[in-house]
Amino acid sequence: MNALLKKGLEKSIDPIMDVLHEFGGAWIFLGKVIKTFRRTSGYRKAIIQQVAEVSTRTISTVIFAGIFVGAILVLQFDTMLRRFDAEALLGGLNTSATIREVGPLIISFLLAGKVGAYTTAELANMRVTEQIDAIESLGTDPIQYLIIPRFFGVVLSSVVLLAIGLSVSVVGAILVAQSFGGINIYQYIASIPRFAGAWTLFEGLVRSTIFSTIVATVSTFKGYTASGGARGVGKAVTQSAIYINIYIVLGNFISSSLLEWIHDLTYFVIGVFERIFL
Amino acid sequence: MSIRFENVYKSFGPKKILDGVSFEVKKGQVLFILGKSGMGKSVTLKHIIGVLEPDAGKIFVDQFEVSSLFTEEGRELLPKVRQRCGMVFQHPALLDSLSNFENIAFGLRTPQYREKIGKTLTEAEIEATVLEKLRLVHLDPEILPLFPYEVSYGVQKRVSMARTLAPGPDYLLFDEPTTGLDPLSTSSINELISELSRKLEVTSIIVSHDMACALSIADQILFLDQGKVLLMAPPKTVVKSEIPLVKEFFEETLSLLPPNWSLE
Repeated sequence: MNALLKKGLEKSIDPIMDVLHEFGGAWIFLGKVIKTFRRTSGYRKAIIQQVAEVSTRTISTVIFAGIFVGAILVLQFDTMLRRFDAEALLGGLNTSATIREVGPLIISFLLAGKVGAYTTAELANMRVTEQIDAIESLGTDPIQYLIIPRFFGVVLSSVVLLAIGLSVSVVGAILVAQSFGGINIYQYIASIPRFAGAWTLFEGLVRSTIFSTIVATVSTFKGYTASGGARGVGKAVTQSAIYINIYIVLGNFISSSLLEWIHDLTYFVIGVFERIFL
Repeated sequence: MSIRFENVYKSFGPKKILDGVSFEVKKGQVLFILGKSGMGKSVTLKHIIGVLEPDAGKIFVDQFEVSSLFTEEGRELLPKVRQRCGMVFQHPALLDSLSNFENIAFGLRTPQYREKIGKTLTEAEIEATVLEKLRLVHLDPEILPLFPYEVSYGVQKRVSMARTLAPGPDYLLFDEPTTGLDPLSTSSINELISELSRKLEVTSIIVSHDMACALSIADQILFLDQGKVLLMAPPKTVVKSEIPLVKEFFEETLSLLPPNWSLE
């Protein structure tokens, strides 16, 4: 009985230990990437090339998804706000929710699916066919040659894609609000500044940077450390997709709490200053 | 000038791969490492270029102790060791995103190579070196603009050899160079290895299952079994060995050798 219980406990603990083990490995890998980046130079061309590649590979999906993200949110908010005769707030609430939360999240999931999976598969294939060993044996650091351009390519392009995706989703939302909800376009736009200001943009930017760093770290880490032939490549891609999604959800919770706390603290400090000096 | 293993141990998880391996290859020698699959032959080569770190023991490449270069400061020296050792992998391991020309030129564009020769090569010099190495492996310049996936596996192997030769290494390490090749290509690659070892007079370590090739090229043959060195001796001694695994290898090979074959 005891042995059975022990076996059962071990089976349920194993996946948690795996997640923690991978999490630790990814952090160490991220540290290595940053350290190598700081002590070396000459990446501009390679990073720009990667940003262009990643952006062109993902832009159509981001635009397509962006339109519908805005549209879906409008439909949801419109239904709720009508109950309270508060349709005038639709533009502000929708834009704020898109920029702060839904936009970065959806775009990161898209990046994970398209760029993350591609990067992991590419690097894992290079690992199992000994291309990475060959690079090392020729005296070149693979982190410098392969990882840094891909890592910063994903992080920087996500900022570009986020800007495009959010703009498209705002436009998509306006179109749907006007066509299906019969909302006045000027009223919609006028309500935006009431809910979405500089802080909203800052939150969206911070979140998307955190999420894209997760995508870049996990996808390069899983690809770089893959082993075991074609099966190993498949395993690395699957694990990369799973871990990226888990870490993004966790990252979203932690960043939301932290940003909320920073927001409250900032307003508290401003309040104290106003009381003292004004 | 030598490569030396002193009591090297390496395990992957619970599996012992190298179990106290010691040997030395002197300058200009050709050493064949033979043994069954999974006995640590490729792992031995990867330790020499510092792709793998031993669990215990020491590995020397000339004056460098490779096994001590896995620290933060030591890593700076690893590229210098790798510059001395050119490795031909089991698979061609060519970079898919680069043309055959760029693959061969890869090692000539690294900062370590610039440091070694004390200057940056011009594009014309790089092209001349690439063409020279291409001639050594008996390939036509027509394949240079093509990508690795556009040429046959045998040609990829030769391009891979040319890439290894390009920076002028002091040691050549071959990891099962004839794996996946048909008998004709196998024999031509074996001839090429023999020719390169003689022509370039570099120290070579060749991991293989091919006893026939080992008997005709090697100065020394090392048998690895269960992670231990079973025997290291010149071909003349190997053929007389009474060790069961060595005998088994030799008897298998006898049928493949020509009737008038002799070690002389």
